[in-house]
This record gives sequence, structure tokens and C-alpha cells, in this order.
Amino acid sequence: MPEATRFTRHGRGWIERASYPVGALALAVGVWWGLTLAFEIPPFLLPPPEAVAARLLNDPALYARNALFTLEKVVYGGSVGIVVGFALALGVAYLPWFRRAIYPYLVTARVLPKVAIAPVLLIYLGTGLITAVVFVALIAFFPVVLSTAAGLSNAPAEHHDLLESVDAGWIRRVVYVDLPYALPDAFAGLKQAVTLSVVGAVIAEWIAADNGLGFVILIASENVRADVMLAALAVLVVEGLALYGAVTLAQRAAGRWSALE
Amino acid sequence: MIDLDGVGVDFEGVRALEGIDLRIEDDEFVTVVGPSGCGKTTLLRAIGGLQAPTAGAVRIDGDSPAVAQAGARLGFVFQNHTLLPWKSATENVTFLREMAGEEPRREEAQDLLASVGLEGFEDAKPRELSGGMNQRVAIARAIHLGADVLLMDEPFGELDEITRDELGVEVRDIWRRERKTVVFVTHSVPEAVFLADRCVVMGATGRIERVFEIDLPTSRDEDVFGSRAFQEQVAAVRRTLHESYA
Ligand SMILES: Nc1ncnc2c1ncn2[C@@H]1O[C@H](COP(=O)(O)OP(=O)(O)OP(=O)(O)O)[C@@H](O)[C@H]1O
Ligand SMILES: [Mg+2]
Repeated sequence: MPEATRFTRHGRGWIERASYPVGALALAVGVWWGLTLAFEIPPFLLPPPEAVAARLLNDPALYARNALFTLEKVVYGGSVGIVVGFALALGVAYLPWFRRAIYPYLVTARVLPKVAIAPVLLIYLGTGLITAVVFVALIAFFPVVLSTAAGLSNAPAEHHDLLESVDAGWIRRVVYVDLPYALPDAFAGLKQAVTLSVVGAVIAEWIAADNGLGFVILIASENVRADVMLAALAVLVVEGLALYGAVTLAQRAAGRWSALE
Repeated sequence: MIDLDGVGVDFEGVRALEGIDLRIEDDEFVTVVGPSGCGKTTLLRAIGGLQAPTAGAVRIDGDSPAVAQAGARLGFVFQNHTLLPWKSATENVTFLREMAGEEPRREEAQDLLASVGLEGFEDAKPRELSGGMNQRVAIARAIHLGADVLLMDEPFGELDEITRDELGVEVRDIWRRERKTVVFVTHSVPEAVFLADRCVVMGATGRIERVFEIDLPTSRDEDVFGSRAFQEQVAAVRRTLHESYA
């Protein structure tokens, strides 16, 4: 059985699996292209695929520069959110008084549309990187806290008895038992956090920034430049996928010493 | 030497153990038998310091269980093997020693695995091994810890009868080889008799009903199961159990 899985992961199976989504994408682009041609849709409403590609190739520096601005917000904000979220998760999992005080708010905060916080931050922090970082961090940390805190209770109670029987202490228990057992949930939260960080960065760029792919989309929208919008959107999708892929790779690497498999 | 002096445990109204007086000598093999819910696990946890008694005291070579824990003198084997799923057999054997703050010894761990019939499985993960094999790893882990006391709570409870018998013979062998003090909890009367120097029969309300001195040869193999002496003593233990629950 392990032989078979290895085969699908790295061998011909990989190409076969990839062929479906790639095929679907090609079909979608084809339909898009066909529509613009068949109905003679004016390019300012829906430019054909080649026009969008031409936009990208005409001024790659613009998109690359703004992709980096967005990445900056995602990485800084996401990192802060993940670190804070992780620390809070430890608190929730191991300090009963902390859990009692905080957990109800964390759970109810899920229903709060966090987008609504952005204009509030604008008042206190003004426009600029710091507002975006704080906003992205705020959005990213919720899934990390909730899923990591839940994951930290995955370890069977008998494992705790085992460690207690040699007086291993709290730190060893957390590091060698609870954390490895929590990793599957923690990574689920991390993936959500990364996805939400990109969303957060774009919203921040609409509300409180003058750079980034979100800002490019906003300005292009005001100027009715659908080709620029779509080009920026395409770059954003690639950026989001790359970040998600990075987390997936980290998850694979962690799989060897945790309960991930 | 393990010394229980009037040990009692209450769980908010539920009396799990009451007035347990028991002395277990060094290198002795003691089994504890009784029906489900009679307090066997609670007794073992009290000895191992995982459950504080609400009455009386437990001493291990004169120390409290907490001191014995800190000295890595107690080796637990639970009903579930409690191996870490992401660690190999060897890593699982050394794990408990590391958690006790002691130097793990890989080679010794692999020798131990071989001695419990797991040669060639040193790198296998728990999910690649059968229930019986995993329980062997767990026993090797307790021995590798270097504890002089082994506390085993129905370690073969989830295994089939044939594997149980086999492992029973092995545990006796290990015990003779390693010179450990063993407290072994089970609800199987034949298992309790086969393994024991002394067999503690627990009755209802968490009390010791009777303690049997088991009269069988020191070296025991599968042939013992068919012997008259064995069967008579099994019958005697059974009778005591049934009388106490009549
Ligand atoms: N943590 C606990 N809280 C409350 N009651 C408990 C707890 N642990 C055990 N008990 C109760 O104490 C009694 C003895 O339980 P114990 O687990 O020691 O029995 P046992 O002989 O090991 O049973 P089994 O053969 O089913 O494992 C039972 O009535 C049980 O319900
Ligand atoms: Mg029990």
C-alpha cells in the first residue's frame, strides 16, 4: 500500500491528477475567449484573455512591485497573527482561568464580520503598512487560536498518565505529546489563516493603502480598466496559491514527527 | 518493597477502594483480579501515584509514589499500548526514558525489542504492527526505563486468547530475567493464576477479598495451563470471586 501511495504522489499519477484542474482552466479560458469573440463584447467590459496577458507582459514591473507590497502585508500581518494566535491557543489550552475569561469571546467573535474593523483601524493608525499589518493579523489569528486550542486536547489521556508516571513535567508533555497531536488541527487553522491573510491584505489596500495588488484593482476599477483588474487578479491568485503551497510543504515536512499521517 | 497502608479512594461519593492493606516484596509477581469496576485500575494508579488516595498511604521503598515517579522507578503498561503513532518501535522504547530525563540507549532498546520477539521491526510504526506486537513494544519501553517496579493494567485485555497466553509466558520470562517487582491487573482468572506468585482477589466495594499464594513451578510455559495444580488453583480463585459477588 505505501508503494501505491508513493506512486500516485510522485509518479505518473501526479500528471494525471493535475490534468483535470488544468483542463478545466483551459476550458474556462476558452469559453471566456469564445464569448468575447462570439458576442463582440467591448474590451472595456470584458477584455479577451490575450489582452489581459498583453497587459501583464507590457508592464511586468508594475504587477511584480505591487505583488511584493501585498506579500509584505500578508507575511508581516500573517506572521503576527499566527504567533499571537498560537500563544493565545496555549493560554486557552493550559490556563483554565484564561480559557474561561477569553474563550467565549473568541467563539462569538467568529460571527463578527472582521471587515468592519478596517475603517476603525484607519482612524487610529492612519493609512500605511501598519494598519494593513494589524488588520491582517486580526483576521489571521482567529482560525489559528480556535483550531490549535482544540487540537491541543487531541492527545489521549493515557499518554498524559504515561508521562506523569515518570514525572516528565508540563513542558515535555506539551512539546512531545500535545503539540504533535495538535499539528493536524493547527495546520488546518494555518491554511485558513494564510487564505484569510490575502483577503485581509486586499481589503486593507482598498481602505487604507496606496500600493499593492488590491490598490491596483481599486484604481483600475475607478478608471474602468477591466484588463488591468483582471491582470492584477491573476497575479493575486498565483500569489495566494504559492502561499498556500508553502504551508502545505511545511505540513509535509512536519508530518514525519507528528500525528499528521 | 511496595507498602499499602489502609489505602482508600473516594470519587465524589463513589467508593472505589477501601482499607487496602498490602505489602509487595521486591522481585515479587503479584496479580490483581476482580470483575469490572471493582477498583483494580484505581489500585494500580494509587500505587503509581496517578491517583492520590483519600485515605491511608502508599510507600515505595519507603518513599511516596511522587518520589518514585521522579526517580523513574515506576514502569506503567496500560491496556492501550500508548505508543506515539509517529515514532518507530525503537523510538517509542527510548521515549519514556527521555521523558524521565535519562539518556536513551538505542542499542539497548533494539536488543530489548529482539528479546521480546520483535527483531526486524525496530523501525516499524505502531500502525504497521499488530496489537500484540505493540503491547510488546510497550513492555520493552517500561523495561528500558530501568524501573524496578512494573505496573501493568490489563495489558493484554484487547488481545485474542492465544496471543494472551503467549505474552503471559513471555512476561514471566522477562520478569525472571530482569528481576522486577510486578503488579499485574487482569480480569482473567487463568491469567492471574498463571502469572502470579501471589494473586490478590478483589471483592465488591473496593476491598481485598483474599490473597492466594500460587503454588506452581517458578519457570512456567504453556504446559502449565493443562496441569492439575493450575486448574485447581484457578477453580479456587473462581470460587472466591463468585462467593464474594453472590
Ligand atoms: N476518575 C473517576 N471518577 C469517578 N469515578 C471513577 C473514576 N475512576 C474510577 N471510578 C469509579 O471507581 C470504581 C472503580 O473503577 P476502576 O476503574 O478502578 O475499576 P476496574 O476494576 O479497573 O474496572 P475495569 O475492569 O472495568 O477496568 C468504578 O465504580 C468507577 O466508576
Ligand atoms: Mg480497569
